[in-house]
Amino acid sequence: MGLLDIVKKDLIINPLKSTSRNEIISDMVDLFADNRKLTESERAAVKKAVLDREALGSTAMEKGIAIPHAKIPFLKESALVIGISRIPVDFGGSEKSSIFFLVLASEEKPAEHVQLLASIARLCSSDVFVRMLATSKSADDVYQLFFD
Amino acid sequence: MEAKFPFRKVLVYLDGSEGSMSAAMYAILLAKSSSSQLHALYCVNTKALGDLVKARIFVSQEKNEYLADLNKDAHRHIRHIEKLAASKDLTVSSVIVEGSPNAEVSRYIKENKIDLLVLGSVNMIRSRREELTSETDRMLRTSTCPVLVCRDDDAVWQMFEEL
Repeated sequence: MGLLDIVKKDLIINPLKSTSRNEIISDMVDLFADNRKLTESERAAVKKAVLDREALGSTAMEKGIAIPHAKIPFLKESALVIGISRIPVDFGGSEKSSIFFLVLASEEKPAEHVQLLASIARLCSSDVFVRMLATSKSADDVYQLFFD
Repeated sequence: MEAKFPFRKVLVYLDGSEGSMSAAMYAILLAKSSSSQLHALYCVNTKALGDLVKARIFVSQEKNEYLADLNKDAHRHIRHIEKLAASKDLTVSSVIVEGSPNAEVSRYIKENKIDLLVLGSVNMIRSRREELTSETDRMLRTSTCPVLVCRDDDAVWQMFEEL
């Protein structure tokens, strides 16, 4: 499974309304949970897994990008939620973040998870792509950028 | 008259995906019907792990966990192809390596004089972005020997059962 297989228009939030790290994670997990019709306990487990991972060290990187992620025991297929914030948010890194890729991985497929994260990192090495993402106006714009 | 095949050494690349397991079955079918040697390679992508640490997406504790998970996955898939091959009275030279999959496959092809590479799947071209090229796409483009891309999973499973 490649990155483009998991980019879904209905799993993109643009713009994000929240302004703190935990709220942003919560909003992105909620979108995923609603989309996949997760139970309340599953929703809470996903949030906890992502926050626990952030507690080990922020996933904020250069260029205003953050890639929160976690392995989720009950997931059969990996999933990606993308969020774009108009206002840069303190995500615990050395610079504020405005582009968020939430990667939720199936525990059974570690190779796929590594591949997906590496693809996102490679994609974000393009300054042009990052600039276009940051200035995108809607979920449609973001989706289109991947399939250009 | 006995059929002649333009290959004697077949390598199948395993990456833990369902597609690569179909490729493994197809490679067994090919090797069996052509009396070729069968090789299987799983590459633990330590290049990607290193890149993820460098980009601060992984912390080192996480990298070690994933390294252990990937090694477990590698052994599971190698055991699986060995079992599949044995079920067709075929032996397979299997190897687990660490590094960049494309580079390791290229090196293995050269060092072992492989003359056919079997891959599970390549991505449909849905984006012009070079950064989205997968490892198997790169292998297809850069292989120094002929490449066979195995596509139809169900048909392969059925053929394998019938052999």
